[in-house]
Amino acid sequence: MYLVNTETVKSFFNELGALSLFTGRFFTQCFRPRYELAEFFRQCFIIGYKSLPLVALTGFIMGLVLTLQLRPSMVDYGVESQIPVIVGIAIIREIGPVITALIFAGKIGSSIGAELGSMKVTEQIDAMEVSGTNPFKYLVVTRVLACTFMLPVLIMLSDAISLYGSYLGVNVKGVTSFSLFWTQVFDNLSFNDVLPAFTKTFFFGFAVGIIGCYKGFNSSKGTEGVGRSANSAVVMSSIMIFVIDLLAVQVTDLLGFN
Amino acid sequence: MDINKNIPDSESGTSQPVIVISDLHKSFGSNRVLAGFSISLLKGENLVVLGKSGSGKSVLIKCIIGLMKPDRGTIEMFGKNIPDLGAMELDEIRVKVGFLFQSNALYDSMTVRDNLEFPLRRHWIKLTQGEVDDMVMNALSDVGLEHTVDMMPVELSGGMRKRIALARTLILKPEIILYDEPTTGLDPITGKEIISLMVDLKRKYNTSSLIISHDMNCVRMAGDRIAVLVDGICYATGTYEKLKQLEDSRVKQFFE
Amino acid sequence: MVSKSINNTKLGVFVLFGLLFLIILLYMIGKNRNMFGSNFRLKARFENVQGLKPGNNVRFGGIEVGTVKKVIIINDTMMEVQMIVNEDMKSVIHKNAMVSIGTDGLVGNKVVNITASKEPALLVEDGDILPSKKQVDTDEMLRTLYKTNNEVALIAANLKTTTEHINSSSALWNLLNDKTLPANLHQSGNNIRMATQQANEMMTALGNIVEDVKNGKGSVGSLLADTSFAVNLNAAILKIKAVGSEADSLAQQISAVVSGLKNDIETGKGTVNALLKDSGMVNKLNRSLNNIQQGTEGFNQSMEALKHNILLRGYFRKQERKEKKQQAGDK
Repeated sequence: MYLVNTETVKSFFNELGALSLFTGRFFTQCFRPRYELAEFFRQCFIIGYKSLPLVALTGFIMGLVLTLQLRPSMVDYGVESQIPVIVGIAIIREIGPVITALIFAGKIGSSIGAELGSMKVTEQIDAMEVSGTNPFKYLVVTRVLACTFMLPVLIMLSDAISLYGSYLGVNVKGVTSFSLFWTQVFDNLSFNDVLPAFTKTFFFGFAVGIIGCYKGFNSSKGTEGVGRSANSAVVMSSIMIFVIDLLAVQVTDLLGFN
Repeated sequence: MDINKNIPDSESGTSQPVIVISDLHKSFGSNRVLAGFSISLLKGENLVVLGKSGSGKSVLIKCIIGLMKPDRGTIEMFGKNIPDLGAMELDEIRVKVGFLFQSNALYDSMTVRDNLEFPLRRHWIKLTQGEVDDMVMNALSDVGLEHTVDMMPVELSGGMRKRIALARTLILKPEIILYDEPTTGLDPITGKEIISLMVDLKRKYNTSSLIISHDMNCVRMAGDRIAVLVDGICYATGTYEKLKQLEDSRVKQFFE
Repeated sequence: MVSKSINNTKLGVFVLFGLLFLIILLYMIGKNRNMFGSNFRLKARFENVQGLKPGNNVRFGGIEVGTVKKVIIINDTMMEVQMIVNEDMKSVIHKNAMVSIGTDGLVGNKVVNITASKEPALLVEDGDILPSKKQVDTDEMLRTLYKTNNEVALIAANLKTTTEHINSSSALWNLLNDKTLPANLHQSGNNIRMATQQANEMMTALGNIVEDVKNGKGSVGSLLADTSFAVNLNAAILKIKAVGSEADSLAQQISAVVSGLKNDIETGKGTVNALLKDSGMVNKLNRSLNNIQQGTEGFNQSMEALKHNILLRGYFRKQERKEKKQQAGDK
């Protein structure tokens, strides 16, 4: 007569504990030499630069659509001229970081999960260890760090592109000059809008990286196991992004940055 | 080909053991995989460990290279007990020990050249770019696949991949090579090619080899001495012919 | 190797652009908050800052010249707004410029407006407290407007009843049409004035006599022996007093009537009906005025009698002589 299956609860906590240990292992390995700088930059290129087209496209559409969707209500209230202000705050504070992080989780979380998963099942990870390489450092630390530092850059670019999309959206039906649009956006933003939003993106990136690596590193044998780790990496990191977002709101509120 | 030509006389004591495994235990939960396995690999010999799937052959070989830690027992190699070693010391040992993985373990994201360069660059060995290139090409010519140097592993056939993996294993000129089921996943003809290549290269570089297999072709062609792994212990050792004549049912099952 | 360096270049450009946008963003915000370039501080005190927050804009003549740095509570009725203003404004804003809090648009952010005064004054310095102007608080405005409206409605109702009463009242019209009344009132006033003037003179004279008595001059002895004079004097003084108080009460009565009239007309309540319908009142008023006239006449007579009293005759004669001498001297 249990409402929740005890096995499910157990496995959830098992998973959580294992993930915590994995994260702890990341931090102990992260600061010790040897530093895999070349691999880190290679991963930055793959994870950051190669994700740009996707992130830019979604960001652009997001800004454009958000503006077009907001417009009727804003016109109803007679505050059509405030569209750049509202869109600017919405994109910088919340939509840009979260949507971009979710796209990132979908693309990078799954690819890390699948890549490490297949490396695991084809013994490539063992092969690395035999070849005098700490696979945790070479594979996990570099990827997690690359995610942590590339996602904020991606989000910044996505924000910029979204706002450009919004500018075009404003000009679809109305007319606002380029400089007026940006003046309106910048004038109504404060450090409290930008800095907490920027800070949380590092945590988003870290979550996507560490969950992807954890799932891949602990992938079970066979191609099915690889698929499962890729899938659960995306699901878990997406949930994690929302959890972090919620926590970030609470923390910034507690610290008085709102 | 006379495979018995190079059998070292273990009884005479002229050959030194390079790996001494004694009383190795390893369990996964309630599943006892190794239960007091003991054997020695002598210098210059090809030792085949024969066993069924899931009998703990792979666990044994991974314990030897330090990828797994046994629950109990010692593995002595180059004067050191492997289970006691830390990462740095293991790396020193691993430079001198090659390992051919069952699934080749070629890095999918790297070209053949990068795959071969990887151990060279990772083992803290100071080499110039020219030396590295020479070593890569030498290793590829040993396995007859020089033309694949800029290809990706996925573009190669299973046999070619196995050969590239062999080349990568040999590139550091190891003193001992551990083969994990070298013919698994290959057709019999390609498997035989790989085995003869192994034997040739062993002769060329005078290495000691420990081969894990359940493929009787491999056992017959490559094995100077054969150890039968049953129920987690070394059940019987001897040459192919010697074991074939044994009437013990547990040994006999492999030779039928 | 070549592709690797190309990749690193791409990566560098990618990261650079990302950071560039962040830096531009932070720079623009910082610039809006006057974090860059030189600034100086200005202060202003308000009773109510209406939700002004740090970061709100400060405008001078409608141009943004700075931002609000801090809003602090000095005491329960005084808030201090600290502003950061562009250094260039030091040569523009004067010490008597007015500071007020306004709203940017109908629902926009709060802004601080600095308005120049036309009077000459020194230029501002760092840390100056500028005078503040209490701006119109919409809430308070609406409350006042509501109260005023109610009162206007009440007054209108009162005015209506009053005018109705006035229109239907014949007595008031009689009173207002009676041309003799103002003339009578005027005359009464004159009489009262004359009486008081004489009473004044009388008092001065008495003062002088008392002075003389003090100084032991004149016929003090006889004066003290003559009891009949004392009686006369007493009676005279009493009469003066009576006349004075009569005049007093009359004046009060008049003013009471007038103010009552006024009050009744204004409020339209109570005695106004009686007053306006009572035609006898007019007669009464007339009679009162006659009484006043008679009273003052009596007083005049008493004064004349006093002059001719034996004891005081000397004094009056002396006065006459003095006057004559003076006239002679003048000649």
